[in-house]
Parts: sequence; structure tokens; C-alpha cells
Amino acid sequence: MQVSTGLRAAAAAEEAKRPRGDKGRGAGDTLAGWLFVLPSVILIVVFGLLPIVWGFVLSLQKASLISPIRPFAGVENYTKIVHDPLAIQAAEHAVYYTFLFVPISMGLAMFVAIALNRKIALIRTYRLAVFIPVAVSTIATGVMFLWLFDKTFGLANFALGKVGLGPFGWFDSPKGALPSVVIMTVWGWLGFDAIVYLAALQGIPAQLVEAAAVDGAGRWSTFRNVTLPLLGPASLLLMVWSTISAIQLFDEVYFVTKGGPLGATNVPVFYIFKLAFTSSFGFGMAGYAAALAYMLFVAIMLVTLFQFWAGGKMVHYST
Amino acid sequence: MKRRRLAAVATLVALAVIAAACTSKSSSSNGGGTTDAGPVTITLWHGYGNIQSPNGQVNYEAKSLTGLIDAFNKSHPGIQVKADYVGSNDNAYQKLTVALSGGTQPDITYQYGTSMPSLATAPNIMDLTQTVQGAGWNWNDFFPGERAAATVNGHVYGIPALVDNLAIVYNKNLFDAAGVSYPTADWTWDDFVSASKALTDPTKQQFGVGFPADASEDTVWHFDAMLWAAGGDILTPDNTKATFNSDAGVQALTTLQQMAVTDKSMYLDQQNTKLDDLFNSGHLGMMITGPWALSGYPDVHYGVQIMPSYAGGTHASISGPDMWVLFNNGDARAAAAVTFMQWFTATEQVASDSMIAGHLPTRASVLQQPDFLKQFGAKFPGSDVFAENLANVPKARPTITTYDQISQIMGQAIVSVLLGQSQPKAALDDAAGQVDNVLAGQ
Repeated sequence: MQVSTGLRAAAAAEEAKRPRGDKGRGAGDTLAGWLFVLPSVILIVVFGLLPIVWGFVLSLQKASLISPIRPFAGVENYTKIVHDPLAIQAAEHAVYYTFLFVPISMGLAMFVAIALNRKIALIRTYRLAVFIPVAVSTIATGVMFLWLFDKTFGLANFALGKVGLGPFGWFDSPKGALPSVVIMTVWGWLGFDAIVYLAALQGIPAQLVEAAAVDGAGRWSTFRNVTLPLLGPASLLLMVWSTISAIQLFDEVYFVTKGGPLGATNVPVFYIFKLAFTSSFGFGMAGYAAALAYMLFVAIMLVTLFQFWAGGKMVHYST
Repeated sequence: MKRRRLAAVATLVALAVIAAACTSKSSSSNGGGTTDAGPVTITLWHGYGNIQSPNGQVNYEAKSLTGLIDAFNKSHPGIQVKADYVGSNDNAYQKLTVALSGGTQPDITYQYGTSMPSLATAPNIMDLTQTVQGAGWNWNDFFPGERAAATVNGHVYGIPALVDNLAIVYNKNLFDAAGVSYPTADWTWDDFVSASKALTDPTKQQFGVGFPADASEDTVWHFDAMLWAAGGDILTPDNTKATFNSDAGVQALTTLQQMAVTDKSMYLDQQNTKLDDLFNSGHLGMMITGPWALSGYPDVHYGVQIMPSYAGGTHASISGPDMWVLFNNGDARAAAAVTFMQWFTATEQVASDSMIAGHLPTRASVLQQPDFLKQFGAKFPGSDVFAENLANVPKARPTITTYDQISQIMGQAIVSVLLGQSQPKAALDDAAGQVDNVLAGQ
């Protein structure tokens, strides 16, 4: 706030020094400019900024979304987060899920992208096949995996049983539910990551790879010293993007496991949803839910800033 | 300079046109009823879908509703009822929350009975306590469980919209193949457990019974019926302390534990999405379910029987009455909404809806109509048993604002026993302690 005020003051001083003339920007120009961007500004303010501000106000109240009576609660909604075992459980699950989901999906995607980055027959078909899960709706994916991972009737247990493994509980076992969600979401998002990597791979100049070959580098050495560093910017992008979406995991849990069994897939956004829009945890929890949402926002921002900082130290090349 | 000002003016004009378009659109949909000229228009939100469902079949629930509304609009020229399908009833509460925040609530909306305590605090909700005692309502004709669910702290906030209850639905072919005799009206839970065991065959991936084990209210109300059958109750009569951890509660949960953990004769659907498909494909011998499920079993030769009892107890069932909730959007519209509801839930209309949509009648007087049960059972096989079973529903779940919290706690306890992670007595005692804290306002 102070910074922008200072900037504005500096700009005004600059403006005052400038001689008035045809080249200067008059009040009418500024007005016209604002009027042209007004429609977008209104949309952003009404659907973006206002809810953010209103959400903050809500987080300071003891409120339900139905009753108009909303007593002021101060920072109580924030201080009680540390005493809420379910909020802490949700945070732990988010960390657990993120540490599984992000490396697995990115590692697999890089492997798949390299496999797809060649000129062989039917390559377009393979690329399409990898991308299709991204286009399938979460609900359809959920229904499919519910049956695939059914402990009694599922194809997964049937196939694993043929080689003497299982049966596994998958979504139905408190220990296996979150890893099963990881498998399902990796399947669903792999195509997106693979496309980003594929694009980055195709941007790597052929002469660099040839130069490495001339210098006597083997395939692994070429990958390790040429390809991998040049994929750095794409990896950073994917890491930031996947981490944010992993921390915000909701759809799959909402539809498939509903936070269960016995809280095994209770994750932050799902918990916030239940607090705000159902009365499962009591009536009048919308303010507390808003406080949790703000804490989640702060957590995501800190993680993202850290990733950009760490990424900036490690990513040296851009293609 | 001049050119730019012209552009600015043009932008302003464009914005004004857009704004005008927006406002005129909203005023025509909301404010139509408030003008003096013409009939009063009221809006009704429902979740029955459209008459023509996507698979090309006729949706008889929607057909019945729109048919009755058309008839009302014709016979009452001063009132126009506009029915809006707003998506599944599961989301009706959330949708209403949003509408209430924006002040765009409908005049009448369909809501689950369990949402009533929360809704009672909503702005502009109509308190119907006096209204339903008026002439022509015959309020006591609605079943006791429905009236209890409509009432919060002694005030009536809902008109019964739909009633159902739980009973045994069984696959006759699987019973025949296993050589087990069909459930009878004097079955005990012991009979149920042994039949379930006899119907279980792991080699055929066949289970005696399916059970919703997602720890939701669906899990809990199945348990509630058994708790009542064993002579127990959820809370003390004044709703201040938990009593579901009584001997009756332990007995009911031990019955479920026997089937789920010991005999492994119960298929636990922990996401609560697969039971109907499994029953319809012949993998489950029995279900404890409601009349709404019957249309989902076209491939099964099924029978319906009332709930089992515990020795010396009752064949208690439970009903989940849904409600029409009214909001006051000005005197004229409020009066029109009341007029419509009174007509719509009168005996004649309820009977008509039952025969077209297959809904159980919400009024006792419909059951007393000569030949109603016979015709109803002939058109909707099995539904007549559910209709008669309405008399086996002893009470309603507590209508207090903390009910959903209590349900959440009970659901976790029940599922932890079904998954073999805890014992009935310990799980229920622990849950009762948490519920007592909730009831004490902590």
C-alpha cells in the first residue's frame, strides 16, 4: 500500500514537471482508458476482489451462511486452528499427498514425454491416448476407479490376485485410501504434464544433442547433462502448478472417498467445504472455514515463493 | 481529443445498454408477481428433473408434479405457480444458502427434513404453526414422524413433501438357490443374520446383504431403526444427552458387527455408490432400503418385507420425510404460496401423486381410501408394503440444529466397528461422550 502510494506520488511529481502540451496525456485520455478497461475491471472486482475481502471479513465473524446474525469473533477463528485435530490432520494429509503426487506425476510425465518424442508410426495416436485422461471429467474418472479398485469386484484386485498379490482394500482401507487417490489423480493429470514436457523437449535445439554425441556422450550422459537442465524451466512450471493443485485437492475426494474411510482422506479444501456448506461440524462454522481458507492461501503462497526462489537457484537455462 | 471523447461516450452507452439488459432480465424473472395487474406469480424449486429424462423414458415424478401445478394454475386464475428444476435434492440446501445470501430465495423449495433445524433460522422463512391449524388443512392427518420432522422448537416450518421408510428388499432367486425361506413379517434380527450368512458365497462373489458404510446419515439412519427396534433412542427426550450407547444401541451395533466382521456376509459400500447396481446384478441377497430404490431393480425378481425385530421388541422402521419450505417474498406471494401448498398437499392431490409418481402417501387418509393399497401395490409392486410400513415408524430423529454433528459422530463410530477397528460398546461410549459435548454447546 505504502509502496503504491509512493509510486503514485512520484508519478504525480513527474507529471507536474512535464510541460503541458499536445504530447502530454490529458484527463480525457485517462478517462477514455479507464472506460475501455471498465468492463474487465468490474468483473475482476465483483468476482475476484470483493469475495476475497468479504471472505476476510467473514473469517473474523462467527457466521453461518444462512443466518444474517454474525457476531464479531476477532482472531478467534485463526487461533483455534492449532487446537483443531481435524485441521491438523487435513494439513498432514495435504503434505503427504503433495509429496507423493508431485514427484510421481512429474517423473512419469518426463518418462512418457521422452518416449513420445520420436518419429515412429502412429505417434499421434499414442500422444492422444496419453492426453485423453486429462479431458475426461473427474466424475467419470471417479466412477471408473471406484469399480476398478473395488475390493471384491474390481479388476485391479482380480489382476493382482492372478500373480498372487492382494486383495487390497484401495479406497476402502484407511491406510490405502490416500495412496489410491494419488494413483487416480496421477492417471488423470499425467497427460497434462507430459504435453508440457513434450513441448519443452521439442524446443531443445538439435545441435546441442549432436554436439554432445560428437563429444562422445552416451544416451544417459546426454540426458543427464543436456536434456535435463534444458527441461528446467518446464520442470519449475510443472512443480509450482502441480503443488498448488495438490494442496487444493478436492473433486476426487468429494466424489470418491468423501473424506473417508474414517477421515483417511480428509484434506484441507474438502474440510473447508464441509465446514462452510454443510452442518456436519456444527452450524455457524462459515467464519472458521473462511479463516482456514485464508491460512491455506498463505501456505500456498509461501510454498510457491519458496519454489520460485529455489527454482531460480537451480534453473540456469531457458530454451 | 474530440474523437477520444466520442469513444468514451460510446463506451458509456454500451455499458448502459448492457446494464439495462441485465436489470430488465432479472426484473422479469423476479418481480413479475409484485405488480398489481395480472396474477401473482410464485416460484417453486424442486429436484424431480424434467419430464423427459435423457434416456428417453418418461420421468413420472416430474410428470406428476407439473400435472398438478398445471391443474392448479387453471383452477386458480389469480395465481401462477412456476416450477423450476434446480438439480438434485442432495444440493438443495447448498443452493438455497446461496440464494438466501443474495436475497433471491424462491417462494417454495423442496428440502430434506434433516435440514429443518438450520433452515428455521433463515431470514424470511415462514412460520406455519398457525397456518396449518386453519380450516381445511387437517394437519394431524400427516403421519406423526412427518409432523415431528416439520417442527423445530414447537414451530412448524415445513409441509411434508415426501415420505419413505426402510424395509427389507430381497432377491427371491438367490433365496431359492440357497434354500433359504423368504423373510416373514415376524422375522427377528437373528433370522436376518442367519439368512445373510446362508446367502453368502465368496466363490460367486455373493453377499447376504449390502450396507451403506460411508459414515453419512445414510449409515446412521439404518442404525437408528435397529436402535429403536431394540428399545433404545438416540438422545434423551429433552435432547440434552446421548443415549444411543445404551444396551439397545450395543445390541444393534453388535448385530451389524456380526454380519460385517464375523460372518463377512455384509458387503460394505464405503462410498455408497454401488449397492443398487450390485443388488440389481444379483450379487446381494438382501438390502435394507426405501421405496425409491425399487425402480432401480428391473433385473431382479424381488420381494419386500417389513424390518425384523429383536425378541419382544417392535418391527421399528425409520422415515426420512422431506419438506416443502416457504419463504415470505411479500404478502401477496406469501398468501399465494400458502394457498397453493394447502391445495397441493390435500388428500386428493396426494393420492393422485402416489398413483402417478409411486410416492408413498404423506397422509393417513389416503391409505384409508378403499382399494388404494391394492391399486398402489398392483401398479408399483412392493410399494404397498412400504406404504403399510409407515405405521411402523415410531418417531423422528431429533430436530435440533446440532443433529448433523451428532450424525457425523455416530457415523464414524458405526463405520469403525464395521471395519473391525473397534468394539461396539467402546465405540458408542466414545461417540456418546463427543455428542454430550456438542449438546452442552462446546
